[in-house]
Amino acid sequence: MQLFETLLNGLLLGGLYGLIGLGLSINFGTMRVVHLVHGDLIVLAAYFLVVVLVPWGLPPLAAAAVVVPLLFSVGWAMQRFLVGRSLGRGVLPPLIVTFGISMVLQNGLLLWATADARTLQSSLSSSGVQIGGLTVASVRIVDFAAGLACLGLLLLLLGRTALGRALRATSDDASTARLMGIDPRRMYAAAAAIAAATGGVAGVLMAATSTFYPSTGSATLLIAFEVVVVGGLGSLTGTFLGGILLAMAQLLGARLVGPSYAQLTGHLVVLLVLVFRPQGLLPRTAP
Amino acid sequence: MTTPALAGKLRRSSRPAIVGALVLALVSCPLWGGDGARSTLIFLAYHAALAQMWNLLAGYAGLVSFGQQLFLGLGSYTLAIGCERLGIGVWPAFALAAVVAGALAVPVGALTFRLKGGYFAVGSWLVAEVFRLLFGNWGYVNHASGMFIRAARSVDPWLIYYVAIGVLIGMVALVVATLRSRIGLALMAVRDAEDAAAGLGVHVWRVKLLAFVIAAAGTGLVAALIAVQTPFIQPNATFSIEWSASISFMAVVGGLGTIEGPIIGAAVYVLLQQQLGGNGAVHLIVLGAISVVVMLVAPRGIAGLVRDRLGWTLFPIARRAPSRSPPP
Repeated sequence: MQLFETLLNGLLLGGLYGLIGLGLSINFGTMRVVHLVHGDLIVLAAYFLVVVLVPWGLPPLAAAAVVVPLLFSVGWAMQRFLVGRSLGRGVLPPLIVTFGISMVLQNGLLLWATADARTLQSSLSSSGVQIGGLTVASVRIVDFAAGLACLGLLLLLLGRTALGRALRATSDDASTARLMGIDPRRMYAAAAAIAAATGGVAGVLMAATSTFYPSTGSATLLIAFEVVVVGGLGSLTGTFLGGILLAMAQLLGARLVGPSYAQLTGHLVVLLVLVFRPQGLLPRTAP
Repeated sequence: MTTPALAGKLRRSSRPAIVGALVLALVSCPLWGGDGARSTLIFLAYHAALAQMWNLLAGYAGLVSFGQQLFLGLGSYTLAIGCERLGIGVWPAFALAAVVAGALAVPVGALTFRLKGGYFAVGSWLVAEVFRLLFGNWGYVNHASGMFIRAARSVDPWLIYYVAIGVLIGMVALVVATLRSRIGLALMAVRDAEDAAAGLGVHVWRVKLLAFVIAAAGTGLVAALIAVQTPFIQPNATFSIEWSASISFMAVVGGLGTIEGPIIGAAVYVLLQQQLGGNGAVHLIVLGAISVVVMLVAPRGIAGLVRDRLGWTLFPIARRAPSRSPPP
């Protein structure tokens, strides 16, 4: 029964992990760049919420409504002025540029907000819900619902709208897309902005779910990476399922081995997937 | 003899003179330098050696890794375990560090090469994280509180200095020799066009793994030397991603794909460290910001700028197609 409770909690926390991976997946899917700032953007959103907006007296829900558009603009500007200029010259330049921005952002947060642990105090984070005799934290139900909603919105956006079609066309063949009147640089900026906005949602949820530090940005990037690799490159649904698998592995590790083994168990499960199923859970099928 | 040809001859003959003068200056340091010069040069030498190894990966093999701290950690823990737990002595443990790091690079490479490009970069970082957590949970090495290497306290600092200089010179010679061989040609072909290289019969996977193992062994050796000098190690410091930040900074700012680049980059790093020392956060912000600007404005680094402006390079390893003589 306790094991079942752990699995249920893992499933729900997996919604947040999946959401963390979605942004990395969108960036890579569109412009083939592993965006190393993604984890720090999520932590930036969490800090902005907890250190700036909530002390102003904004209710958490209204504050979240400020954070998401803000992150959207940050993602757009970063792509237009920095990351976009490193594209087209191989693998190394975007990696060095995003890694450098990540260092600046993470250590900037350290100077500005100190290394103290932070979290969002709310009625949500302290309450629990009974489901058929199992106890789950209510904030994790919100995590799952929000993650699933973001996945649904992104699938609709990519599959059913003109912008989504243009994004997919740029992803498949940027030079042909350009011939059809699509400006790939605008598409890359749109993708980076959307990815950062999902990071904004993830940051708000992370602030409510757990404590965080400036260095949480690196840990969050690793979660995003693991979730994408486990899920299968190029599949948003796979990414979401990867999040659930990773969260379950972490919570099982914490319960069965010891609380300090949560991260390690998660990492080892990811490496096992890499050994036995390197294409991930749901690899994108050949076109 | 025409003037350009004379200038060319002078440039060619000046290379051994410059390299010789540098080596002589380093070897004679006890005659002209004190403790301050010694520790600065040790610091410079091991950073230049680390950057040189990363350059072999990113600048020549097309493998951008943010996980070299894995081999730093393995090298320094091999030294600590060898000295404190097995009692094999400082220098045998030092040599063993290169062997352990190089040997572990084989399975790690076999696993992480399944990931391409940016995913390889983060995948290698993930493996380093796994080892950071493993060593932090391992009672044999005092968990996360770390190990003090008592045997290293009695080592003469000038001996450490000469080993550091020797390691740097040895690594530069090794990289130059590798790159001038067929393997070097294969590496550069893989970096520039992996599929085309494979089509011409290059064993892409094997050549990449060879570069990965050499870089791992070299990084492990340098880490062991750092541990001899310090002589205290902790998993959270020795397996830290901050190593990747400083190593990639040196290689990028100095100039990737050149031999002198990482050494120039290490000199810039040491100057910055001396100016900013103390505050780690400010230091890392400056490193990150400079890396971004250099990558966007002068992606070939300082050595690339020198080469573009003066047409001169200290260690020529580039290959040119034989020029056709003009028709009579």
